[in-house]
Amino acid sequence: MGGNDRILKQLQEIVGPEYATNDEALMYPYSYDLTWNDPHMPDYVVLPKTVEQIQRILRLANKERIPVVPYVTGTNIGGLCIPEEGGILMDLKRMDQILEINTEVGYAVIEPGVSHAKFSAALKKHGYEFGWGVHPASASVLAMAINHGIGHLNGRFGINSQMISSMEVVLPTGEVAKIGSCAYSNSWHSLYPLPMLAGLFIGWLGTTGIVTKLGVWISKIRPYKDVLTIAAESAEDITKYMVAWRDLELCDEVTAVSWWLAQVPIPYPYKEKPADAPEWFSYTVISGWSEEELAYKRKMWKEVVERERAKGVKLIDYEYPPEAKRGRTELPSRIVGSTKNYSKACGGGLAWPGTFTPCKSWPIIYNKWKEIYIRHNLSPAVRFTDFRGSHYGMLRLMTPFDKRDPKAVENARKAMKECVEVGVPLGLLPYKPPVEYWNIMNKYADPGWIMLLTKIKDCLDPNHIMNPGKLGVR
Amino acid sequence: MGAEHPLVRKDYEKLAELYNYISMCTHCSNCKYLYEYGAKENFAAIGCPQGDKFKLDSYFGSRAKSSLARGLLKDKLQFTDSVMHAVFTCTTCGACQQMCETDFKPAIMRTIEALRAEAWRFGKVPEAIKRWSNHIKVERNPYMEKHSDRLNWLPNSVKESLPKKATYVYFVGCTASYRQKQIALATVNIFKALGVDFTVAQDEWCCGSPLFRTGQWELAKEFAEHNATLLDRYGAEGFITSCAGCYKALKKDYQEGLPEGYKDKLGINFEAKVLHSTQVIAEMIRKGEVEFKGKFEKVVTYHDPCHLGRHCEVYEDPREVLKAIPGLKFVEMPRNRKFSFCCGAGGGVRAAFPEYSLETAAKRVAEAEETGAEILTSTCPFCYRNLSDAITLAGSKMKMMDVTEILSEVLKK
Ligand SMILES: Cc1cc2nc3c(=O)[nH]c(=O)nc-3n(C[C@H](O)[C@H](O)[C@H](O)COP(=O)(O)OP(=O)(O)OC[C@H]3O[C@@H](n4cnc5c(N)ncnc54)[C@H](O)[C@@H]3O)c2cc1C
Ligand code: SF4
Ligand code: SF4
Repeated sequence: MGGNDRILKQLQEIVGPEYATNDEALMYPYSYDLTWNDPHMPDYVVLPKTVEQIQRILRLANKERIPVVPYVTGTNIGGLCIPEEGGILMDLKRMDQILEINTEVGYAVIEPGVSHAKFSAALKKHGYEFGWGVHPASASVLAMAINHGIGHLNGRFGINSQMISSMEVVLPTGEVAKIGSCAYSNSWHSLYPLPMLAGLFIGWLGTTGIVTKLGVWISKIRPYKDVLTIAAESAEDITKYMVAWRDLELCDEVTAVSWWLAQVPIPYPYKEKPADAPEWFSYTVISGWSEEELAYKRKMWKEVVERERAKGVKLIDYEYPPEAKRGRTELPSRIVGSTKNYSKACGGGLAWPGTFTPCKSWPIIYNKWKEIYIRHNLSPAVRFTDFRGSHYGMLRLMTPFDKRDPKAVENARKAMKECVEVGVPLGLLPYKPPVEYWNIMNKYADPGWIMLLTKIKDCLDPNHIMNPGKLGVR
Repeated sequence: MGAEHPLVRKDYEKLAELYNYISMCTHCSNCKYLYEYGAKENFAAIGCPQGDKFKLDSYFGSRAKSSLARGLLKDKLQFTDSVMHAVFTCTTCGACQQMCETDFKPAIMRTIEALRAEAWRFGKVPEAIKRWSNHIKVERNPYMEKHSDRLNWLPNSVKESLPKKATYVYFVGCTASYRQKQIALATVNIFKALGVDFTVAQDEWCCGSPLFRTGQWELAKEFAEHNATLLDRYGAEGFITSCAGCYKALKKDYQEGLPEGYKDKLGINFEAKVLHSTQVIAEMIRKGEVEFKGKFEKVVTYHDPCHLGRHCEVYEDPREVLKAIPGLKFVEMPRNRKFSFCCGAGGGVRAAFPEYSLETAAKRVAEAEETGAEILTSTCPFCYRNLSDAITLAGSKMKMMDVTEILSEVLKK
């Protein structure tokens, strides 16, 4: 057995006997995830259904000084829900209601357990969408958005946390607070022009409270879509093209993948790229309200390609296979939203170093990462995506590895940490980072930043119960 | 294979043999939810009846099964009563397998059975399953009935008219022989009316499906070996079944090659044609050989049995039969075909956990009611039993009928 029966009894009183356990067999699947992060068992797993139950659990945890780890599906690829110090793993999947879809104002309100599958199906009935990532469709929309998740509309709107419009949160000490417009009326339309208190719960990896409701902006589905593709020999050339194209703000997304990431699944161990294959493949998704709009965007895209070519950027004409095109427009997708693309048959492991990085550093870091990965006999399966905002975006190296072999796990862990080490001074900021990445990042961090982070964390969570250890501070 | 690996506990032989497959599970959670993109609508629903009921990740989909298997093989878990509960409340419906895209996929059902095979060694098997397993060894059925009563459903007049040699042996199965006898009767009446060249075996044993699904492969082999002799005895080229479970057992468990790296589960040499009754009828309808004599003016929805649908991919034949019936208005439930939702009975669950089993069936009946259908139909006597019990329990107005029962109404003169 894990935790003691006295606490279990109190948890069971709160949520009902069937929704709290300290049985090791029943808790085991919560002790590890896809990654190389060391497993650790929780002492209790509890599945609340209401905000009030969450409040009572947090009050109990404070009184007893027990860690609490928020969890929905555990797909974060960062070991973020592995209970570092044991405690209560709070599985929020029972809170799975879509509370409002407001097409008149353009937002929806969801609970933590709402999956991408469910949300996309419900929104589509109204002709709307949200930023869908390429993760399993079972994953939580809320957990993704509050941790700066990256969806398919990133070229148009930026990342998903930029689409948050309101929230309700239970503080570590058990109080409930509404943030944004919903704090003043029953409209969940905006965080602005109020002080940005939502920032206390966005990007904090569940270390500052439990977000129980989230308002997000939703977007009308554009009926016309196309995927335009181009290839290049070098990271430098593909980056130049991507920056020039995203500058025009005409695409929903522009992404490039290295040859290794374009393979399904990613070669494991490292396999040499055929000499005649380009090293980079890029796709961009354009959308519109009419064929004319799409034609205009295609024309503008061609002009960018020609302009870049004229400047000496070597771009190679290249057509995506139809299935790959579908995978980019039919989101959330079983085609790309599955681990088969990455780790179909290599032994279950999947992790990444990355991600938010200024575009000018992409080629520099990529070339360093390639050297590191080849040295570790791993494929440099890298993705670049230029988000709306400034020219920055995803630089991410999806890495399959064989969990059957402890040496292979260690090898992958080392390679990835080395990548983070070389990336951070060049502007790389890992998202949803494992603790071991924080430890590297914090070496380079401004002391004032660490001080502020710690102060806020201490203020919100005086007993340090919320997902302890996951920020690399406290 | 995996058994050589230093991390693996070797005494879990059945699981250790699958270790390399189990290890391909990334723990990605794809199997927790049924989902597919659609041009007009996306499909999204919970598919795992076990996860839907018990909610904890230790119950949800094949992720939970690979995790339990890993925990046991790596000696992180002991085979406790909780492991038993998590292993035996799975209905083996295969919804999780639909969503998995890694190389664990082909071994998922076998892993569930292997977990159960290991459970027998520790005595961690629900009492009800032990009870019928003892009975089946003697009386060749899991229903606590006598083998000598197996053909009691068959009227003497029909029995006497059955040929000694025929193209097909109608494999009745235990549920239709002892419980849902009206399905067996409707089936022979239809076959007679349509001129199908068939006979009924004098000495049919349980197909072994309950044994396969509960991890009792060695015992199942005895049943497979016996039933395999029936075809020669009647000079037949194949079996026709009424039951989805029998269909999967005869077609897949008895004869299908297993994914690379497996040892053959049975090691028997059996090759034969296996058809479901609705496949025979659908083919005759396609050839214009079926003449309907009446109308069935009712709204009907169809429940895909997991073992016929997902496991053997027979989705369209039963629908073709239904759609050909004059007057019948066919409506689909939201969860259909590969995304069907289990009736709750399979994998030994009905016997071992009757309340949970009926709760699952009630969810399915509620889904059927929402379509506005008056009749819920299926192609499996075992699904029939659970769904009709749930209908009765809920006091629902809906009526359960097997496809053959509907057909026999419109083939009557
Ligand atoms: C193959 C693959 C591809 C992926 N691709 C993408 C992608 O394209 N874009 C992307 O953004 N992500 C991607 N991911 C990562 C991940 O799937 C998403 O971020 C996902 O939405 C997380 O949801 P979850 O339910 O798994 O959250 P979990 O892993 O359960 O939780 C994530 C974090 O949020 C915290 N948390 C959860 N609920 C709450 C709450 N209510 N309040 C406070 N904190 C909470 C947890 O403690 C944890 O720190 C991918 C993952 C996989 C496996
Ligand atoms: S076979 Fe069915 S009941 Fe069993 S885990 Fe898979 S989806 Fe759940
Ligand atoms: S069984 Fe398949 S879908 Fe489920 S977690 Fe494992 S790899 Fe993913």
